[in-house]
Amino acid sequence: MPITTTRRRLLAGSAAALALPAFVRAQGAVKPRLTVISQWSAGSDGAAITALGKKFEEKGGVWQHSPVPGFTTEMMNKLRAQIIAGDPPACSQLKGPEIAAWSKIAPTVDLDALVAAAGYEKVVAPDLAKLHKPAGKWIALPLQIYSTNMLFLSKRAMDKAKADKPPVTWADFNALAEKMKAGGVPYPVANGGTRPDDGQKFEAALAGISPVVYRAAIMNLDEKALKAPEIKAAFAQVRKLADWMDPNVGAQHFSTNLKRFVDGDMGMMIMGGWAQGVLRNAGFKFEDFTIAPGPSDNSKPVFLLNADAFIFWQRKEADLQAGQTLMAQLVMDPAIQTMYSQITGSIPVRTDVDLSGNGWSDGQRTTAAALKDAIASNQAVLSLAHNMAQENGMTAAMIDVITEFVKNKTIKPEQAATRLAEAVESAR
Amino acid sequence: MNFAVSTRQGRPAASEVLRRLPEYLTIWVPLLLSAAHLIAFSLWTVWISFTPSTLVPVSGWVGLRNYSAVAASRNWQIAFDNLLLFGSAFVLLSLAAGLILAILLDQRIRGENVLRSVFLYPLAVSFVVTGTVWSWLLNPGLGIEKLVHDLGWTSFRFDWLIDRDMAIWTIVIAAIWQSSGFAMALFLAGLRSVDSDLIKAAQIDGAGPVRIYRRVILPTLWPITITVIVIQLQFAISTFDLVRALTNGGPGIATQLPALVVYDLMFQRSLLGRGAAAAVLMLLILLAVLLPYAAWRYIQRRRTNHA
Repeated sequence: MPITTTRRRLLAGSAAALALPAFVRAQGAVKPRLTVISQWSAGSDGAAITALGKKFEEKGGVWQHSPVPGFTTEMMNKLRAQIIAGDPPACSQLKGPEIAAWSKIAPTVDLDALVAAAGYEKVVAPDLAKLHKPAGKWIALPLQIYSTNMLFLSKRAMDKAKADKPPVTWADFNALAEKMKAGGVPYPVANGGTRPDDGQKFEAALAGISPVVYRAAIMNLDEKALKAPEIKAAFAQVRKLADWMDPNVGAQHFSTNLKRFVDGDMGMMIMGGWAQGVLRNAGFKFEDFTIAPGPSDNSKPVFLLNADAFIFWQRKEADLQAGQTLMAQLVMDPAIQTMYSQITGSIPVRTDVDLSGNGWSDGQRTTAAALKDAIASNQAVLSLAHNMAQENGMTAAMIDVITEFVKNKTIKPEQAATRLAEAVESAR
Repeated sequence: MNFAVSTRQGRPAASEVLRRLPEYLTIWVPLLLSAAHLIAFSLWTVWISFTPSTLVPVSGWVGLRNYSAVAASRNWQIAFDNLLLFGSAFVLLSLAAGLILAILLDQRIRGENVLRSVFLYPLAVSFVVTGTVWSWLLNPGLGIEKLVHDLGWTSFRFDWLIDRDMAIWTIVIAAIWQSSGFAMALFLAGLRSVDSDLIKAAQIDGAGPVRIYRRVILPTLWPITITVIVIQLQFAISTFDLVRALTNGGPGIATQLPALVVYDLMFQRSLLGRGAAAAVLMLLILLAVLLPYAAWRYIQRRRTNHA
């Protein structure tokens, strides 16, 4: 007898559940639904996108996220397969010039009206905005920003060098490194040895020496700029950095040696803002390190932009279209950007978000201030090492030269500069 | 029911086919499917290699442009040189190591089964694990060099992993560790299958153990040797996971191998056409090894049939 009752209830329940969407539709509203592909599945990235999904559901949407863990390239393989099959997700993670490249293989959504309604364009760094409207119309929206050239200083190494001020120019940096070495810090520069790590050293060096040449040579691939003396000077600075590093780093990830960095065995680390989150997750305290903008020879902060973004793919279904509108509104919302960045340790894309609140760290405040100053002096440029300045093929060709130079000390800076120009020519 | 009826009617040919149908199905269906897959995808890759495909496959014809671009790239040149060095060093050394281990195990020693398992065990470990473990062991700041330093010999140097000229040898070391047990197992089987009458005859003639090995036993092993060489060579040519975990092509791009270049072109640089061209070049290298082997097998078989 009790079984029958349950069954009857179940039937009634499912009938109600089936009727519910019809009811909503009858009210004149489509329930927004969003299919999303990203590589963010674990750690703070996973937590942040899950929180975003919760917000989406709170607004009455159906959130269908399929994370593809691992490298970005694996996420791209899934995206490629779905596009070829004619079934792209309503929204997917994609960033930098890849947005322009991929937008040529499948139709995207015109977001201009939504962006205008949110007044978003005014509060986004100009170079960043350009990447998200490759043919003049907004088709993708940046979500969060990291700087790839933040300077992390180990408190204990600074004590050994009897220094307390972060270096401003590369000359200051080099002097401090010498002081650290003399003060008993075996390796004044801490870093990993992966390809992006090597790339970051070069881009930090060149952009710090001359953001103008960086923009011309790396972002615009100007032939004359690629042969400028600043390129050679940047390679020479990279050689110095490489000499101050632990040669045993090999191809290790930067996080492998964070303990030695905190212990003062390694002094300074040029790394993206995400390192702050990694340091904190590893149990280190804010007192163990300080964060400053990367060295800049004209003393005004240079900001190497790395920004995650969502691209929106055209779908015919009304519920997916409604979901895209809702998602776009959420991504541009300052409250959502605050929530997202506070989880991941990045800074918001919007330059008008107030970072004085409790949820923000000093490192994030420094980064946001540096971005503002850098935009004001036109020194916010796009990161090469993190695929923001060029498409993947060109980036890889350039990083080949850089990583070989870092690892092979017999290559002279002038040789490396020539090879870089040649690599650009053959990858064009 | 059909089975029973057809047998009773006494049509041996048809019933035989029916009776063996499950066997045919289990052998031929998967075989044909995988052959079709293999051939279809190989042909598709060859086709892509002649198209201007980048992010997604597109039709079009660019002739040999992808091939010339790959062949002219520094990455491919380094990868090809590395393959020659790695391939020959790895095959010869793993052959030697496997043979020595097999001969030592062949001395009817105690605990042979345990030792055999120990030497074969690395084969059960995935290449990614092998690569990762060796990358720690060979790292001068963490592994063998540090251990020897801590023991007091501070001038000891073993930093091949970060030395771009020697780094390729770290891959040779790890690959030998992984697969010399496999060579050993094959050689041991070969050693055990030598006719004991032959050995006894040699002993009666007064030959010592060294001489028996050199003149009697080892010459019978050469068909196995060729098999081992071919299997190891095709492994060497397609090495990917081991080097990716151990050096990831570094320091710099010093330990690139063709499979890494293919992956890099296709999935990191989104240059499908060039990646396909590199893959076809790899296939040609493989064929250069496998075709002579197939020809040799064919000649062998004809010879035995004639005799």
